[in-house]
Amino acid sequence: MRDISMILKSVWKSLFLFSAISVLAVSAANAQDAKEGRTLFKAKCASCHALDAKLIGPALTGVSNRHPEAFLLKWIPNNAAMIAAGDPAAVKLFNENGKVAMTTFPELDEAKVKSILAYIKEGEPKPAAGTGAVAVKDESTSGLSIAGIVAIVLVAIVILVILGRASKLLERLILQKQGIEIEEDVPLKVGVRKMFKNKKFVMFFILCLIICLGSFGWMGMWETGVHTGYQPVQPIKFSHELHAGINQIDCQYCHSGAFKSKNASIPSLNVCMNCHKAVQARDKYDGEISPEIKKIYSALGYDPETQKYDESKTKPMEWVRVHNLPDFAYFNHSQHVVVAEDAIRKAKGLQPTEPVCFACHGPVNTMEEIYQYSPLTMKWCINCHKETDISGQKNNAFYAKVIEAHEKIKKGEKITPAMLGGLECGKCHY
Amino acid sequence: MESNKKYWKGLEEYNNTPDFVKNNKNEFAEPLPIEDVLNEAGLSTVTPRRDFLKALGFGLGAVTLAACQSTPVHKSIPYLVKPEEVTPGIPNYYTSSFNGQSILVKTREGRPIKIEPNPNAGEFNCGTDARAQASVLDLYDVSKLKAPVLKNEETTWAKIDAFVKGELNKAQTSGKKIRIVSSTVNSPSTNAVIAGFITKYPAAKLVQYDAVSYTGIIQANQNSFGKAVLPKYNFDKADLIVSFGADFLGTWISGEEFTAQYTANRNYKSLENKKMSRHIQFESGMSLTGTNADTRVPVKLSEQGPALIALYNAITGQALAGGTLGNNATADKVIKLVAKELVQAKGKGLVVCGSNDVSTQILVNAINAAIGSYGTTIDLDNACHLYAGNDAEFAGLVGEMSRGEVGAILFLNSNPAYDYINNKTFTEALAKVPAKISFADRADETASLCDAIAINHNYLESWGDANAYEGYYSIVQPTINPVFNSRQAEESLLVWADAPVKDYYQFVRSNWETKVLPAAGLKWEDALDKGVISTAAKPAGAYSFSLSLAAVVTSISNSSKSLAKDIELQVYENVPMRDGKNANNAFLQELPDPVSKVTWDNYVALAPKFAEKLNVKEFDVVTVKGNNGYSVDLPVLIQPGQAQGTASIALGYGREKVGKAGNGVGKNAFPFVSFVNGTMQYATNVTITPTGGHYELAQTQTHHSFEGRNVIREATFKEYLKDAGAGTGKGEEGHKNYDLWDQYEKPGNNWVMAIDLNACTGCGSCIVACNVENNIPVVGRDEVRRRREMHWIRIDRYYSYETKDGDVTREKEIAKLEDLDHVSVVHQPMLCQHCDHAPCETVCPVLATVHSSDGLNHMAYNRCVGTRYCANNCPYKVRRFNWFNYWNDSRFDNYLNNEFTQLVLNPDVTTRSRGVMEKCSMCIQRIQGGKLQAKIEKRPLKDGDIKMACQEACSANAIIFGDSNDPNSEVSKALRSERIYYVLEEINVKPGIGYMTKIRNTDTTVQA
Repeated sequence: MRDISMILKSVWKSLFLFSAISVLAVSAANAQDAKEGRTLFKAKCASCHALDAKLIGPALTGVSNRHPEAFLLKWIPNNAAMIAAGDPAAVKLFNENGKVAMTTFPELDEAKVKSILAYIKEGEPKPAAGTGAVAVKDESTSGLSIAGIVAIVLVAIVILVILGRASKLLERLILQKQGIEIEEDVPLKVGVRKMFKNKKFVMFFILCLIICLGSFGWMGMWETGVHTGYQPVQPIKFSHELHAGINQIDCQYCHSGAFKSKNASIPSLNVCMNCHKAVQARDKYDGEISPEIKKIYSALGYDPETQKYDESKTKPMEWVRVHNLPDFAYFNHSQHVVVAEDAIRKAKGLQPTEPVCFACHGPVNTMEEIYQYSPLTMKWCINCHKETDISGQKNNAFYAKVIEAHEKIKKGEKITPAMLGGLECGKCHY
Repeated sequence: MESNKKYWKGLEEYNNTPDFVKNNKNEFAEPLPIEDVLNEAGLSTVTPRRDFLKALGFGLGAVTLAACQSTPVHKSIPYLVKPEEVTPGIPNYYTSSFNGQSILVKTREGRPIKIEPNPNAGEFNCGTDARAQASVLDLYDVSKLKAPVLKNEETTWAKIDAFVKGELNKAQTSGKKIRIVSSTVNSPSTNAVIAGFITKYPAAKLVQYDAVSYTGIIQANQNSFGKAVLPKYNFDKADLIVSFGADFLGTWISGEEFTAQYTANRNYKSLENKKMSRHIQFESGMSLTGTNADTRVPVKLSEQGPALIALYNAITGQALAGGTLGNNATADKVIKLVAKELVQAKGKGLVVCGSNDVSTQILVNAINAAIGSYGTTIDLDNACHLYAGNDAEFAGLVGEMSRGEVGAILFLNSNPAYDYINNKTFTEALAKVPAKISFADRADETASLCDAIAINHNYLESWGDANAYEGYYSIVQPTINPVFNSRQAEESLLVWADAPVKDYYQFVRSNWETKVLPAAGLKWEDALDKGVISTAAKPAGAYSFSLSLAAVVTSISNSSKSLAKDIELQVYENVPMRDGKNANNAFLQELPDPVSKVTWDNYVALAPKFAEKLNVKEFDVVTVKGNNGYSVDLPVLIQPGQAQGTASIALGYGREKVGKAGNGVGKNAFPFVSFVNGTMQYATNVTITPTGGHYELAQTQTHHSFEGRNVIREATFKEYLKDAGAGTGKGEEGHKNYDLWDQYEKPGNNWVMAIDLNACTGCGSCIVACNVENNIPVVGRDEVRRRREMHWIRIDRYYSYETKDGDVTREKEIAKLEDLDHVSVVHQPMLCQHCDHAPCETVCPVLATVHSSDGLNHMAYNRCVGTRYCANNCPYKVRRFNWFNYWNDSRFDNYLNNEFTQLVLNPDVTTRSRGVMEKCSMCIQRIQGGKLQAKIEKRPLKDGDIKMACQEACSANAIIFGDSNDPNSEVSKALRSERIYYVLEEINVKPGIGYMTKIRNTDTTVQA
């Protein structure tokens, strides 16, 4: 079942990717200005403003109708100066919005402000359906094609059997017409019974059975307790694809522990609120706050209307652990992602743009829901410790002494953690 | 020169009793408790074939089903709003202080899990004692009350406040007295709170009452020098220390601090400078300090006074009456010797006495003044504020209470219903007080008699401060939100006094900002970061003694005469339990007494000869009846070195309302204390009669036998000066060694340890530190009796005496050895030696214990199948087997079997389950952590980056750990010492822990 769901998922993924690409293509063709404006808006404005909803600042749709362009061109880069200069319109606007000071943006020149305004005017581009059908290549097709081949082979076998029977029947009819009497077919049941009286056959059959069951059992045992692909249902449908993939948020932003501690740590909800105080995805839910984002609010006792927290209404968020190591195995994230980053990147062939986390956690940026990518077995750990070349650690002063000693043993050859005692029990079990 | 001493751990070993021989044949005293284990699972031990097959089939099915289980669902719950300073997986350290001693509290995800000494504490950075180490467990104690109690019912703070305020006002208006009874308050802020409380209720007064009192010394100093203080003793400045019954390395005033000072003159660094202090102890019961003395002379309690008079006479040449030790020729002779030495060591001698008698302490003052100790080894100007209790004042209060003069009484950190000398009088008097309020954290003996229990925070939940010494302030800082619905006592007092500032944090802070910080020129945050503030010490003045001693000597002689009858009983504090306040702490209950190695009980200690005379044997239950009519039934422990005609019983036991672990452990000895001449006296007369009963004490002493092999090496200071390697057995013609194994390459680090036997006093704080750091379970009295204690580090205590006539020293000549009075003692910390050619590794059939490239002997619990071959093959007897799931088995209910207490576990160390072996891992989690930190910071490891839990706790710095591949590390230097020897070197297992010989300063230049 898991396989099928994975296949379906990859089909969905490819469709999604495809539509995303087509959306981008359309907007690129239409409005270069608005596109730049959108990027700028997301970077500079979105933490306080939305198009259709009041956040910290007012909703911005129709802002060009409310204020003259000249005013906006001055206001957006440096509102503070305007208020200080006593511009009546500026002071009015300031007072209307609860006297909350707006950040100044001296880096925004006129062209940039204009493109932001263009984006606001145009609004969020609507996905256009059914244009530019380009086949998106996806590795899941290989899985599909294998299934297809298997199906074709099966159909072919069925056809062959049917054809065979038909030809046999026809042959018989012809022979009957020619007046040649032929023996009736031995009934299948009797044949099987006869076969099972043949000791050699029984022996052979049992042997086959043992081999089949044995190898099945053997394979099964290796897989026992290995949960590659484990994908539990999480309390919030958090999409790593959206956050780490599309929005390119660095892993460390949320999993800050990974670079300091043994625990990568699941982010506390106040980290979510850094963005989601403003980002509410209302555009996708008819102006309502996304139900998933609402879960963050309700866990924190946060009221998006009044923007206030009520500590009496908080409740903990119970995530389901995806990567489960046994209690007696000690694993330290910082050891791997800080100390051994280069070595792991090299060993796993990661692109410079990919975070080192991908080495074990897989392409997180494409996971709609997170799943266990690596088997997390001891064999898997050990293999990596045996193969990874850490000779690049020469510039880490810690290894100066250690490598010196090792060079006496093996001159110039590759050094693996195993050679530094990385396979000793006590390094992970204590 | 091979030592010709015979060492033994216990009398059964010395006498080679049949039981001892039988038990020593096996590593494990009992076979595997199959019956217990199966009964636990509800199975029968007699298994017919069909049942066996059923079980087999069921087991197979169950295993198959278990294997089919899909991924287990583990919930992972992050913080909702993560505190900025917390990173899950990384410990935070906060400064705080415990009993006036500055400490660091290690917290993980907001839970305090370990206590470390504070390196900022300067002169007072002297390790931590067992109590401080064990105190984290008290925080999570489930025997504590979970909410305040009013009239035996849980209630709210508002109701408590209304009740108490009403009662206090009633007492105030009716003209009755209000009394706050507290053990010594040395916190400036608490004192300020109480002062504010007294302003609001002028009828109130603070009465300081210490369960074990030092009133004698304080009043003697008032009498002799006009300063009612406990002086600061400088053992580090003393070349010659003479102690009369003062257990200054253990329980007397401030053990850890004195240990640090004392060992500074005796450790390997001092010896390398050819310097070693000399210590002579006169005492009746064998104390921790007595075991460390160079010469220990047993004297009866009644002889202590005459001995001091004799010493005074010998030093000053006067002839005060009563200075005769007719019945103790040894003591008499040694006193004369010592007097000469003290005169010679003028200004560098120190005489201390454990007595709480004012007259005796005045005489001690006179002796110290005569040998010029004031201004050098005794400092009266930078007084110690650890104890300020006044015995007479409290006795007066009991009188006031019984006369109905007291309208309200508040108990802060005191429990007189348990530890007052006459608890019946006290409880009767208490019943006459209309309003009784306790700040206890549990319904203890006193609190359960009170109307209201305003439960106080644990110190780890509190704000506060301490002023242990003049000019030395430390801060108490909370490290966790209150575990239960408690409120800090000071805050309660502020609320009841309607103070303007009710938040105690604000109170402490403003108190410091106005009174303490300006002098030090520090800001509050900086002070909090440092944890301590030490203003410049005043110069210690020299004091001369000019009073007449006639009345004093008469008083001493009279008390001594009245004591010299029947059997002289000394009640004393022992190192683990002290005054019994922490009796519910399972770590402390299971910490073996440093001398007798008894856990979980107190006992009557008798000398071997004297027991024979009384016709009692070890573990016989006897009735001890005091001359005040109080009697207890206790088992006998035969204690070599105990003075003839005396008995000793430890205080702190026999608690009835302290909690699951401590209730009913031992018997209460406080009622043997008597109130004489205005102070508490801890010596009395008793009669001892056998009851015919038998009670086996849970003693760990002979559990791990070395089969008579010579593991202790010692030399005298004189021999050491001649040849630094004296006694190590080096340079002798040994047998040739053959190696079956290859040498291990240790290309990176080689973790080793050096242990200085001359510094180790045997106090046992390393044991508790190791327990807390490594999640070592407490097994309880019955399991200790079965030799199943789990301690990874133990301190072996060996008695010894000379066997060859030719080698006896002068003191030994004086001593008559046959009566086992004059035994000498060596303490040897014993832990996994991390042998390079470890015998345990060879015999493990599943390779669960293997060697590492950095010199450690690893133990992989998940591989261990529990054959226990390794323990059988270990020559050092340091491997421990988990007979049960101690953390999840209702039979070990005194410890980890609840969700609160489990919070004390160190998350970096696995909790072991039933059926696996364990042993010292050389704190591998600390090694790995230290290495990783260096790797992240891209720097080489520095010596001292990694410290063992036992090493950090040690006040004496007896344990030195480090990398022997670094020739400049402290441990490399220590291991190059000529005193180094390896235990059982001859069996060539190449241990990683070197021991330095014990040196005794027994030979002197003074001629008798």
